[in-house]
Order: sequence, then C-alpha cells, then structure tokens
Amino acid sequence: MVSGFHVPGSGDTGPDVPEFGFSPEVVLYPETVEEISRVLGFASRNGIRVFPFAGGTKLFLGNPVGAVGAALSLKRLDSVLFHEPSDMVSTVECGMEVSEFQNAVGRENQIFPVDPPRLNSGSTVGGLVSTNLCGPMSTRYGTCRELILGIRAVRADGEIINLGGKVVKNVAGYDIPKLMVGSLGTLCVLAEATFRLYPRQPFSRTIVLGFDDHISCSRAAGAILAADVVPTCFEILDEKLSSEFAAAPGAKRSLLLRFDSFEEAVLEQVRQVREITSGDFASFTEIGNEDSQELWDSAREFPFSSGAGFSSKLALPVTASIEVLSGIESNPALLGVTARCLSRPARGVALVSVSGDDQEAVRAARFLENLADSLGGRIMFSGVRRELREEVKAWGDFGDALFLMKNIKRRFDPGNILPGEKIFDAN
Amino acid sequence: MDSQAVKRTGRWKSRIASELVEILGAGAVISAEDELIAYESDGLTGYRVRPLFVVLPSSTEEVSRVVGLCNREKVPFVPRGAGTGLSGGALPSREGIVISLARMNRILDVDIPNRVVVAEPGVVNISVTDAVSAEGFYYAPDPSSQIVCTIGGNVAENSGGVHCLKYGVTTNHVLGVEMVLPDGEVVTLGGPAPESLGYDLLSLVVGSEGLLGIVTKVFLRIIKKPQMVKTLFASFERIEDAGASVSAIISSGVIPAGMEIMDNLSINAVEATVGAGYPRDAGAILLVELDGPEAEVNVQVPAVSGILRENGAIEIKLAADESERQLFWKGRKSAFAAMGKISPGYYVQDGVIPRSTLARVLGEIGELGRRYGLRVANVFHAGDGNLHPLVLYDPEVEGESEKAEELSGEILRVCVDVGGSITGEHGVGVDKKRFLPLMFSEQEIDTMNLVRCAFDEEGLCNPGKVFPTPRTCVEPGMQKRSSETAPAKEMGELF
Repeated sequence: MVSGFHVPGSGDTGPDVPEFGFSPEVVLYPETVEEISRVLGFASRNGIRVFPFAGGTKLFLGNPVGAVGAALSLKRLDSVLFHEPSDMVSTVECGMEVSEFQNAVGRENQIFPVDPPRLNSGSTVGGLVSTNLCGPMSTRYGTCRELILGIRAVRADGEIINLGGKVVKNVAGYDIPKLMVGSLGTLCVLAEATFRLYPRQPFSRTIVLGFDDHISCSRAAGAILAADVVPTCFEILDEKLSSEFAAAPGAKRSLLLRFDSFEEAVLEQVRQVREITSGDFASFTEIGNEDSQELWDSAREFPFSSGAGFSSKLALPVTASIEVLSGIESNPALLGVTARCLSRPARGVALVSVSGDDQEAVRAARFLENLADSLGGRIMFSGVRRELREEVKAWGDFGDALFLMKNIKRRFDPGNILPGEKIFDAN
Repeated sequence: MDSQAVKRTGRWKSRIASELVEILGAGAVISAEDELIAYESDGLTGYRVRPLFVVLPSSTEEVSRVVGLCNREKVPFVPRGAGTGLSGGALPSREGIVISLARMNRILDVDIPNRVVVAEPGVVNISVTDAVSAEGFYYAPDPSSQIVCTIGGNVAENSGGVHCLKYGVTTNHVLGVEMVLPDGEVVTLGGPAPESLGYDLLSLVVGSEGLLGIVTKVFLRIIKKPQMVKTLFASFERIEDAGASVSAIISSGVIPAGMEIMDNLSINAVEATVGAGYPRDAGAILLVELDGPEAEVNVQVPAVSGILRENGAIEIKLAADESERQLFWKGRKSAFAAMGKISPGYYVQDGVIPRSTLARVLGEIGELGRRYGLRVANVFHAGDGNLHPLVLYDPEVEGESEKAEELSGEILRVCVDVGGSITGEHGVGVDKKRFLPLMFSEQEIDTMNLVRCAFDEEGLCNPGKVFPTPRTCVEPGMQKRSSETAPAKEMGELF
C-alpha cells in the first residue's frame, strides 16, 4: 500500500473501506485540506468523479451512486483544531469521530449536543453534517443546522473556501455552512467545521410513561409540549418499540423523556410531568442516568438498526408527528408488513421501519409517501433493497424547491464531480 | 448593476407607470418626486438614492406581476419593509423600483398546537407576539426596533435582538417562506414542519438581505413563554470585570436569555435621557436575564449573583417586579436614541467578537477613539459578543463624519483580527460591503455569488448590496478539461 492511496484489487492491503455499492478505481486518504484541493482540482480537470466519505456509517442514505473514479476518505483529518472553552466554540476536522470530539470538549465540561445513529460505531463529524441525521437530543438543541457556525471546505473545482465564522452571531454573507448541512457531500467536500457548544448540565433523569391506548398517549404528549418543562429528549414509541426497547413492555404506547439541568430543576420538571399526565398514563418509571443509557442508545439508533426492509424519516408539522403513529398502526395498506414507529414531536419527526416482502414493502412505501404529503410534510427512505430501488426512491417530493436545488448544484459543481445523484435521481 | 444604471426616457417611464397602475391600482404606485423622498433611504440615512417608483402591492400575485415586469424590462428592484435597517439594505437602486411590503401586513394563520404563525412580510415583529401572547406563546427574535420593524425585513437581515444567546436569531425561528423569485415565479421553501429535507435553501434566504427574491409569506416558529423571568442588574468599576462575569456565568453551565453590557459613556447618555436609575459613576453595568422553568431559574439566580460578586460587582439588584425589570431594560433599549443627548451625531457599528477577547477589543477600541480624537460609547450583547460601538461625532465639524466612519471601519478590522465578524445582526448592505474582503477571499465571495446566481441570474434583485464589487453570473459549463484526461489511478501521485 502506498501512503495516501489504495488501489482496490491491486494486491495491496489497504485500510478498511466500507461497502460503497460501486467500485472506485482508487481510494484516497488525504491528510490536509490542500491535498483535498489537489485531488478535486485534478478530478475536475480530468472529469473524474469523486465520492467523499469518512466513517462510511451512513452510506445507505440517498440514491445509489453511479460510476465513480475515486473515493476520498477524510479519516486522516481527525483533529480538534480549536477549542476556546470560554467562547464555547470549537473547530474540528471532519474525519474525527463524533464521540471522540464529544470526549474532547467534555474535558472542559462542555457538550457537543448531538446523538446521531452510529454514534459509537464510527460516525464522523463530516458524516454528521452532510447527513444531518440527529438523534433524540435534537428536541432541545436542534440539529446540526442550529449548531454549525462555519466551515472550511473544498469546492468541486478544487478551490478552498472558509465560510461562516467562529462566533455565534454572524450575518456576513449567505449562510453557506447551513447549506452544507444535509447536502450529502454533493456540493463541496467538507474538511473542517466550527460548532457552537453547550455547557454540560449537572443532573439528568429519564422518565418512561406507558399508556394503554393511543388517545391518552397523544393527550399526555400534547400536555407535555404545552407545559412549562424543557425536556432534552422527548420521544413517542409505538407498541412494538415500547417492548423492544424494554421501555414499557406491554404498553400500547410510551413516552420517553429526559431532563438535564440542576437537580432541583430536573426533579421539579419530572414532578410536573407526572402531575399533568396522571390521568392518562398506566405506568410511570423514573430511571437514573446510567440505567437509561441502553434505552437512549436504542432510540438513537432507530430505525437504522433494523436489518430487513427499509427505513423512512418523515418531516411533519408537530401535531401530525404525534398522530401519525395511529395512522401507520391502523392502516390496512400496512397489513402484511411489520412497521415500527418512533416520533420526536418537538421536531415534527417520525421515524418508521418497515419489513415485509417486496410487493408489500413497496405498497407500504407508497402509503407513507402519500401520508407525508397529506400531512404537509416530506419523506425520505433509506436502506431500500437493491431490487426495490426502482420503485422506492430515496426522496419523496421536494416540491417547489427542486429546481432551485438543481440550480445550486449546477452552480457549485457543473461537472457533477461530486455525485449529485445521491439527491437528484438520475432518472 | 447599480453603477451601470440605464438612463430611462420619459416615454418609457410613463409606459411603466401605466403598467404598474394597471397591476396595482393608482393608489399603490408612487411616482411624485416629493412623495418619493420618504423612500430615499432606510435607517442608514447617510446614503440616499431616489427611486423611479415606489409600489405597494397587497398580494403575492401583485408582487409576482411587478417583479415579472421588472424582469422583462430589466429594471432593478429593491424590497422594503419598515425601512428601519441600519446597513442600507433597502437603499433604492438608481433608475429602479422600490417594492414596499407595508400593505402586506396580515397575520394569515395562528396555529398554536403546531406552534406556527403564518405572517405576511409587512407584519410588525411585535405583532406576532401580540397575536399569541394570550395563549402563553411569543416570537423570540426581538430586535430593538421590534415595535416598528417588519418580519420581512427581519428575514432579509436575519435579525437578532437581546435574547439571541439562548434562543438564536431569526434563522432559528423561520420554518418556511413563500417567495417571489427574481423572474416573478412564486415558490414555497419549507413550511409548517420544524424540519425539512434536501438542500437547506431556507437558510440561504434568511439573511440574504433581499438579494434572492421577495418573501411574501413567512412560517414563524413561536415558543412557549418561559414560566419565570428574572433580571439581574450589576454595576462594575471596570468594564473588563463585567466582561469576565459574562464568561464566568456561561462557563458555570447557565445560559441566560440575554446579557447586555453598557459602558460609562452609554450609562450617562441614558441617564440624561430616560433616567433608568443606572449609577452614573459606574465603569459599566451588566444586565443578566434568566428565564425558564421556575425551579431552574430559582437555582440560577443565586448562582449568577455569586459569580457577579466574585467578579467584582459593586452593586447587584434583582428586579423585584415587572415594572422594575422594565426599568432596567428601558435604559438599554433607549441607548442608541440617548446618544443624541450627548452628541449631535453618532455612527453605530455591529461587529462580533469571541467573548474571550472582550477585554482586549475594548482596550483597542478605546485606543482607536483616542487616536481619532472621537468618543466611542459601547453598548453590546455581551453573551454573544455582538458589539455596538457608537462613534460620536459632530456633523457640523468639517471632516468629522468621515473620521467617524473611518474609525468605525478600524473597529471592524479589530473584530475580524480577533476571529470575529463585521456584522452580527445589521447586515452588510451598502454600509459594510467594502469590509467583506476583510473576512472572505475573492474565491469565497465568488462562492456566495454562486448562490445569488442560482436564484437571480440577471442580478436585478436588490443590486449593489453585500458584494464589494459587481459580479455577474456566467453560465456554468463543464470545467475546462485537459486535452488528454488522466485516469483516476494517477491521483495517488498527488500527495
């Protein structure tokens, strides 16, 4: 193996590379942003398509990628470059694992408040930004969009750009760092990102409320949203997940909440939740920080942990994200498949996993697509089996935004050097 | 575009005036010279340009038709809200049309369960809170001008306010927009859902300073009013101690809703005007507002008081009731206007710095003031490092206003040198466009232009703003390729 790159099939023993679903001629391991710039400059001059990746833990997102000349790993850009604790701002290279970054800022009693799927199995900062899959803590802290302040990136033509900044308030120029969030690496290759951090809270408590029916659960969820409490995490689990996560076995629904603050404030909020939902819940369990870890790990990984079938994320209005569970559970279109659903109501997000045979899975996907549309939301699918990809595309309708999105892609990367088909279906 | 404004003939102007009247009705088209004067500038009154026409559409369709006309005739157009902006973002283009959104001022929907208010762009910021206050909700971004500034202007400038540290700025509270693109087409980006999928175009539009189109409807996120709000007032002998308190409070794990510092000069200006009860001999005062669940605030108040004491506060007062709290804030909110009492003119800046550099930057601002022979008052959102240095000058003294402007520019240089920004909430506009290269390279500004070109190829929408030099849109093509292309495997030789 030659330092810096690996030719698959050459007989060299290269570093571990993920299953891309395509066969790059070469896998590159730059160590600096200038090296990324050289790669992309060369690639754009020679019409070679480049696929950026880091942890390779979420390659299942987006449409399949066509032919690619080079896969570009960011794994060797893996340092914290700047952390000023009194500013609560840190700049990190995009190949660094999110959990390592969290450990680094944690030494100053600060948190980088995201909990993406695959957090403890290689999820990187670059992958986090480009996928914007954030977990339960987004209830309080928002997603990467709310945390990102600046980027250092390389355009498809090789130009290195620094945009945004290192301060929490900054309106100089368009907010291109936020444009990168969720763009799946189709616009630029991210080398560094600067984030806002938060102070670690001294005390934490998880509560699980089990319900005998969905009506009382929805009522309780609505009451909590309207109450004077500020949960860090707030999830609704359907019947299957209530049991599988061992949250509230046997319950028809459960609510999963975590509060982080001073001890008195946390306990008071827990008391308030108990009080305002007392007429509705069938069980109410308080769980300490360490004992709740497994539960939150399960919520964080869902639905991308499930093996068979596919997963989908619905971005909905708040109330629809509560009611959607009943819509999914009771609908005849989903007979014959096994559907599991978790809702994150404060974010308007519903996550669904579906397993079943091909024909039924396709029917379920159509149903979910129509459901998202009828509720005024958007949908994406992931992990769709190869055989079903013609019928179940990764993205639902983008609405009016599609042609503007295409305009942006065309302006940033006219040669489609960075595979745009991840978002824009080649068909 | 602005520098190359096309001189129009009288005949052309009458034809366009007729078309505008046909679209909007005579009462919505202003063309009389004396009436146009009111639209010559926004809050940055040093810059003035008289537009050809001002139009006041009442619907998205009317905006679309006017913009379509501008596109067809290649007339630059400038959207305008209340005209309170401080960077010249609503400065008219020469030979251009101002599209005022003042008549599109309806709240279209209040949806409490979904925490969304749908407002037209001409709705005044405070009206959103007024519409949901009885239900226990509010709209968080609160620029000082919130009783007059409009939501459309807030979206254009990504406005902030005094509570940004905890609650964020406008971009964190806009879920979607309907907008008229520069060719007249109407699109909706985002909507009532808190999250969206695909490219985050909405984040480009918020803070785009009216260069990407005209927003005609906004989906605003409203949030629950905090159960408890407590405001602490502290005075200090030295402003550095006030600054150190801010860092210490945040390091302790408390994120106040707002933290504001005023220096001695500002204190005296305010006392001469509104009499907020600030001690005139203090080096600085710090306001700390804590909000949230009652149990949380009750723990935070003594903790923060202790930190203030440890950092040398001379006097610490907790507002006993709402009227005392309002009095604490009254001084801060009148600070800009109060400058008129101690100086016939002032120039306000909007730089941002990392909090950790506060003492250094204040020292440098003081030094710059001495060098230029001008007084500089400091009022700032200390929690997020957003400074508003007020450079005081006398416009009657020859050359002093130029000196004040130059000094303001030097202050921005200091902000950028310590890793900050030239603007935290006022926008770049015409005022600071020459400073954009302090922060960004040509390639970076070109990258911003890629965004503008994706929305506005013709460059007709609010031209002459933000970008330091005019930039055109070149039709993107394939990158120029080498005549003989190399295989991917050769990339291994690159490093």
